[in-house]
Amino acid sequence: MNKNIIEKAPLISLVGPPNSGKTSLFNHLSGKNLKTVNYPGSTVFFSSSEVNVHGELINLLDSPGIISLIPDSPDEQVAIDALYAHPMFGKPDLLVVTIDANQLSRHLFLVRQLTIAGFDVIAAITMNDILERNGYTIDTHSLELELGCTVCKIDGRTGKGLDILRNKLKDKLDTASANNDYKRNNGSGDTDELISIYREIGNIEERVLLKLSEVNRNVRTANEALNILNIGSSGSETRTIDKLTLRIDRIILHPQWGLLIFFITMAVLFTSIFWLALPLMDLIDEIFSELAIISTGIFQHSWLGDLISDGIINGVGSVLVFLPQIIILFLLLGFLEDVGYLARGAMLVDKPLSKIGLNGKSFVPMLSGFACAIPAIMAARTIPNRRERLLTIFILPLMSCSARLPVFALLIAFLIPAGNAWIGGLILASIYMFSILSSSAVAGIISKFSNQFVGVMDSSSFILELPTYKVPKIKIIIKSTLQSSYSYISKAGPVILTFSVVLWFLTYFPNTDPRIDEDGLTVQQIQEIKSAERVATSYASELGKILQPVMEPIGLDWRVGVSLISAFAAREVFVSSLALIFKVTAGDDDAMQESLISAMRNAKIENTDRNVFTTSSVIGLIIFFVFALQCLSTVAVSKQETGSWRIPAVQLILFSILAYSLSFVTVNLLRVIGIA
Amino acid sequence: MKTAADLRFGERGIIHSIDQLHPSARRIIEYGFTPGQVIILAHQTLFSDPLAFIIRGTTIAIRRSEAKSILVE
Repeated sequence: MNKNIIEKAPLISLVGPPNSGKTSLFNHLSGKNLKTVNYPGSTVFFSSSEVNVHGELINLLDSPGIISLIPDSPDEQVAIDALYAHPMFGKPDLLVVTIDANQLSRHLFLVRQLTIAGFDVIAAITMNDILERNGYTIDTHSLELELGCTVCKIDGRTGKGLDILRNKLKDKLDTASANNDYKRNNGSGDTDELISIYREIGNIEERVLLKLSEVNRNVRTANEALNILNIGSSGSETRTIDKLTLRIDRIILHPQWGLLIFFITMAVLFTSIFWLALPLMDLIDEIFSELAIISTGIFQHSWLGDLISDGIINGVGSVLVFLPQIIILFLLLGFLEDVGYLARGAMLVDKPLSKIGLNGKSFVPMLSGFACAIPAIMAARTIPNRRERLLTIFILPLMSCSARLPVFALLIAFLIPAGNAWIGGLILASIYMFSILSSSAVAGIISKFSNQFVGVMDSSSFILELPTYKVPKIKIIIKSTLQSSYSYISKAGPVILTFSVVLWFLTYFPNTDPRIDEDGLTVQQIQEIKSAERVATSYASELGKILQPVMEPIGLDWRVGVSLISAFAAREVFVSSLALIFKVTAGDDDAMQESLISAMRNAKIENTDRNVFTTSSVIGLIIFFVFALQCLSTVAVSKQETGSWRIPAVQLILFSILAYSLSFVTVNLLRVIGIA
Repeated sequence: MKTAADLRFGERGIIHSIDQLHPSARRIIEYGFTPGQVIILAHQTLFSDPLAFIIRGTTIAIRRSEAKSILVE
């Protein structure tokens, strides 16, 4: 036994099936030093907290929800391994298992498995008020006798019963012998064994579940305890579920109304992350460009000054700019999940998504992907099945995110004659349709070969509890949103910042202070021409020139290649980078777009008189942007959420190849049919 | 014999057995679909897949293909 762990404060692990009130109990009990860590080598998160129980300091560990001790997926394997011995916290001295009073038999199943495995267990029964509203109550005393473990009732909403729980925790810890030598016994997983556990549990339920009316009558009789034991509900008969939930579901899951409500909900969700976040993102942008200006004022235009303002301050800005979307999306998702709607929504759209190897729960991340892949990839956490989660994350960069809009706007404006805005709208709409179709196709193909691509083999299934509708617990939602935001900043943040600085270095060095003819130019013009000159002679442009033979087959030249490299910082940077490299300088955005387009019309491939930007090459470029993973932040978050570099690397390579080859095919097909 | 997927909406059935060869058989049992248990097919969505059953005091949605592994009387 590990001595270090023994001498530390006792460890209590919270265990429970999903929707059993585990998180809300954790939030009631948890105290100082709340932290969230992921299990080494995985993306399964555990929250821990130091808790003072009647003067004794204990470590409380919240583990992911499980329904059985027999794992069905790699993530469940991690959750169950952690019960026996968490690599960072060690062996738990005691388990507290939350069970919903209204589905006693389903939740006692896990308790029974845990006691068979030899764990020291306290069963905390939640949601007793709902059970009592339906006319039943649970006899905790006889349940203790039947299960051979401590049982108590708690109320996760009001905190009632928590003091009793704390007393029992203290008693247990004081009396528990040091050798909690449970055997690792998950059972054989044989279905007959599971059925016999359920049969045993069914009998227990019959004996401890009492009709309230009969309890009250029995209180009056003298020999109550004995009488109570003989009263029970009628065996395997299904008790009615919460009536209100049933009534709401008639509408929410209605063939037509249900779908309408679903699409309205999703539209609200999408508009919120798209439009509500916009002013906040602009604000962050503005603050950081102000900071950059202030920093330039202090450090001047030396390479160090530019590193601080353009490299570091901009880099930090590009980490934080995603926060409004992440926070808004997670608040709304948390709300929908807590109310009980998310499971229903997933059920409504599971059928079409299952056709391409995804899950009903992939819908929200995919929809969010049209705003931005960063919050979308993080939202994929809600997909329980690992294979489906990884597959969803895999195709998310193909959703046409909002950062592509400025790029498409420029390229479409180049393609269509002025004054025909509706054609532009039509083209944009087709780009979106194309992005949906192509990502579905990619998902369908990859799910066929998912073993090689994603590296995980999980049987695809959809077994999902539709929980009772509840008033959401705003505090818990805010808390978990903050945790997600924090994990984004601490995990993906440094990677994004490093990438930004490297990219800045590539576009800035080695010609840091280019000589130009400054006669008759304003200070600002000098700076603009200098930056254009600097980029044109930078390492990035050297890299771009190497790319020349690669760019030629798709009708473009190295200067576009440089802009594509710069666009890895964020796709919309493509436009400003193109302006920089084609030496377009103009005040506001509209004027800049116009002069950029006219510069594009006149741009010749170097040493020839052929145009760089033609109808075919611009359409090819649009195709390129539909598929290419031109976003370092996406790569960083994909690494964070999948737990390794494997998937982001495959994404980057595969989507680049796909983007390039489809662009190549398009350009050359167009040329064959006579469109230059 | 009828399967859970053959139940009409609102219809009750008593589970006879679970097809052990179905890849999700163990999971289905763990969720509480055991022989002798009463289930009610509760809701009809657009595609009639997945199906939502009332069982053991809650509602559980499973895909039609999984419901086919549950034999009912």
